[in-house]
Amino acid sequence: MTERVARVSVRKQFWRGVWRALRRRPSRLIGLFIVLLFIFMAIAGSWFYPERLPYDAENIYAPISWEHPLSTDFEGVDVLALVITGTQGVLLVAGAAGLLTMLIGTAVGLYSGYNRGIGDSILMRIADFVLTIPGFPLLIVLTTTISLGSWWKMSLVLGLIGWGSLARAVRSQTLSLRERGFIEAARGLGLPTRHIVTKELLPNVAPFIATNLLMAVTGYIYAQVGLYFLGVLPIDTSNWGVMLNAAVFQSGALISPDALPYLLAPLGAILLLTLGVVLIVDALEEIFNPRLRES
Amino acid sequence: MTITMVKAPAVSISGLTVAYKTDAGELPAVSQVDLELAAGTITGLVGESGSGKSTLALSLLGAVQKPGRVTAGSVVVDGIGDMAKLAGEELRTVRGAKIGYVFQAAQNSLNPLKTVGKQLLDLGKAHKVRDLKGLLRHAKDLLDRMGLNADRVLDAYQHELSGGMRQRVGIMFALVLNAHVLVLDEPTTALDMITQANILQIVRDVHKEQGLTTLVVTHDVGVVAEVAHKIAVMYGGRIVEHGPVTQVLAEPRHPYTRGLIHAIPRLTGDISAAKALPGTPPTLGTIPKQGCVFRERCALRMEVCETVEPPAQRMLDGRTVACHAVKEGAA
Amino acid sequence: MMTGFARRLAGHLTRGLVMIWVVTTFTFVLIRLMPGDPVQVQIERNIAMGMPPDQAEAAAAVTYGFVPHGPMWKQYLEYMGGILRFDLGVSVESQGVPVADRVLGAMPWTVVLVLTGILVSFLIGVVLGVIAAIKRSTVVGHSLSIAGSLLHGVPPFVIGIILAALFTRQWRLFPSGGVYNADEVAPGLYFDFIGNVLYHAALPAAAYALATYGGWLLAMRSSVASVLGDDFLLAAELRGLTSLTRFRYLARNAILPLFTVLAISFGLVFGGSIFIERIFNYPGLGMLLFSSIGSRDYSMMSGAFLMITVAVIVANILADLLYSAIDPRVRRQA
Repeated sequence: MTERVARVSVRKQFWRGVWRALRRRPSRLIGLFIVLLFIFMAIAGSWFYPERLPYDAENIYAPISWEHPLSTDFEGVDVLALVITGTQGVLLVAGAAGLLTMLIGTAVGLYSGYNRGIGDSILMRIADFVLTIPGFPLLIVLTTTISLGSWWKMSLVLGLIGWGSLARAVRSQTLSLRERGFIEAARGLGLPTRHIVTKELLPNVAPFIATNLLMAVTGYIYAQVGLYFLGVLPIDTSNWGVMLNAAVFQSGALISPDALPYLLAPLGAILLLTLGVVLIVDALEEIFNPRLRES
Repeated sequence: MTITMVKAPAVSISGLTVAYKTDAGELPAVSQVDLELAAGTITGLVGESGSGKSTLALSLLGAVQKPGRVTAGSVVVDGIGDMAKLAGEELRTVRGAKIGYVFQAAQNSLNPLKTVGKQLLDLGKAHKVRDLKGLLRHAKDLLDRMGLNADRVLDAYQHELSGGMRQRVGIMFALVLNAHVLVLDEPTTALDMITQANILQIVRDVHKEQGLTTLVVTHDVGVVAEVAHKIAVMYGGRIVEHGPVTQVLAEPRHPYTRGLIHAIPRLTGDISAAKALPGTPPTLGTIPKQGCVFRERCALRMEVCETVEPPAQRMLDGRTVACHAVKEGAA
Repeated sequence: MMTGFARRLAGHLTRGLVMIWVVTTFTFVLIRLMPGDPVQVQIERNIAMGMPPDQAEAAAAVTYGFVPHGPMWKQYLEYMGGILRFDLGVSVESQGVPVADRVLGAMPWTVVLVLTGILVSFLIGVVLGVIAAIKRSTVVGHSLSIAGSLLHGVPPFVIGIILAALFTRQWRLFPSGGVYNADEVAPGLYFDFIGNVLYHAALPAAAYALATYGGWLLAMRSSVASVLGDDFLLAAELRGLTSLTRFRYLARNAILPLFTVLAISFGLVFGGSIFIERIFNYPGLGMLLFSSIGSRDYSMMSGAFLMITVAVIVANILADLLYSAIDPRVRRQA
């Protein structure tokens, strides 16, 4: 009973800390808003737009208007619609890959940090390997045999090559909890391993998982955009990368000022999303890393 | 002995208040402290962690760390001036050259990327020592006298030194420029018993040889009994009792001093005779704003203790005690 | 008795070799065992073009560096043997051109770009990181951190596109591609040529620098924040050391951990070379990898991928050895 009360109050305190950190700088609230906006666009985009966006060959690179707030592309498709519908695919893949990364990274990190020994050395060698291998070149080499246009294959590959840094972060955090006598104390009380890991360790490493995961998911979004931008994936979906590819390498948006919005829109979307993530990470860091907290 | 007495300066702290800026406003860690370090003596400053003893020690070098600052009072060192007022180059050149500070062994007081010798040269250059070779000779001489292999130590990095060696190196750094005021912060903490005894012997020796005025900050009454002439007991930012070591230890007057001494188990005799003080020491935020800071844990608590802070009274035997319950002549 | 340094180097080399082995095995699997087996495809195409079967097979053998015949393990051993002799086969696309030649020809350009970019960004990032840490309660510090995180978070290709759009199209201050202008200068060790090379490298190198400096800034900021809490800085203050000396103590101790970040950085930067070199038409390893994938030149692709991996491994080893040479705690282990 008292334990539950204590836990509830700890949770309450945590959320109060989150709220305080968000409020300390309004920019952080803006960050939260931006990221939520992108998630909303991913979910709700398909409600507003048909699967095949209407095009109008008479109206390419249209001037900015209420009808086309971000102009149109080389086929006369509304650019804003392209940006919005482009979020769904990448966020789905990035989310799924992030989930996989979280599962592998957390499991490996906790196991290594908790048990140490031989298993730890082997797992960390593998993690280092995954970290060292140049991920993007590997991805584009893989596009030659695996059809990475399929969302689940893409998620699988991204998740499998991206767990290294999360595993390392979770492990070092677990080790530092161990150094502070966390695990020994819990063992001394006769608590079962499962309880120690899920109830004592996990809540303490969760912040690191959250921060790392946010960065990883962002990285996955950009990896996909990058692949489409290079043009090594089949161009059959809306994607910011497809827009960038067409704008930079094909339609000559770099030269013609009419086509500029078509280039700037996906760039702006990427910058905005990055800004949102950065502002949230800034808040997370303050919540979890007292050393950076301002006095 | 008389010659060395001339060299050693006296330090007189009066009305010193040091406050830290916190979310709850500026809170005093040291409050209205008067303390006289007579020239040529060793004073032991005893207190639990959070009593303000480290802050007081740092104020001797004008080095109270942010967000703290001296809000009132002075720390006057003979021949130098008020350390609370010194600033800039003047303050910097006094530190290390006139007043030496020795960290506890567990703290890493050496730059981990430079050898002891290189850091010694940095010290010499900072204080514009012309004769760097002479400085090295002096350092070697000090290290030799403390029983170290000087050449090896000067060529060593911090991680290659043991706790006892670090402590001696720290003392060497504090004295190599011929400082005559020495502040030792927890000189025996984190050292094994034999090394502790060695270090205390060294403290006594260098104090005498170099002609110093020494302040030893510690939580260990045993250390004070071992080396000091005078003891100052600190609680909640106040000096509650101050006097000659032999008198205070034999016959403590302030209830806190009594509690502190009775809490020490003795090697001979009944271990159960050692009694722990009830309660916990206050932290910066929980020091009472008015009245006696010790009253929560005090057995002699009276009504007046709630509202009036006891002034430091000078007793006939020369000590000062700050307690309403202690009357002149009462033991 | 091995010294700590030698033991460290030996460990690195072993791990690097294991890694190269895994990567080459992967490329072998990719070209021989995956669906759409490129080796088989080439043989069939040769036959379709009227070549007798054994001649077609021999041509494929030259391309990939092993005879695509008999038991698979034998083919694998032959392939690995070829790589040990640095025989990476022959390009599919441009017949007769050895892959090793092309890869080695492209390599220096990438290395020069990457190293210049990292060096510049390291210097800028470290300086700004110190400022961000010391002034972290002020608007300046906070803005620096956010700007650093933003540039660190933005993918390199976005920075590349923006730089290219501004400086090669909008203002035409820099060339839009190539490593030097062959019409103006001939290769050689003289001022005009080197100047021309630098002129061509400036923009892509700036793109690397911009894309990575945020990472240095963030790493340096947190490193400085942690060293600032160390006792030796207070000790140095109490010994009356000058603020310049104390700053040197702080900086050296704070920079040291950044060498471990350097290792991760190299992987990212070499990976990003595909984008930067594609955007700026710079014929380095990344461009080679990209174009070989476009034309399905599998032998060239494996070679370029292998070389990028090797470059990352070597850079990692150098970064770590540098670290252990500087840190006495590693250098002077018993």
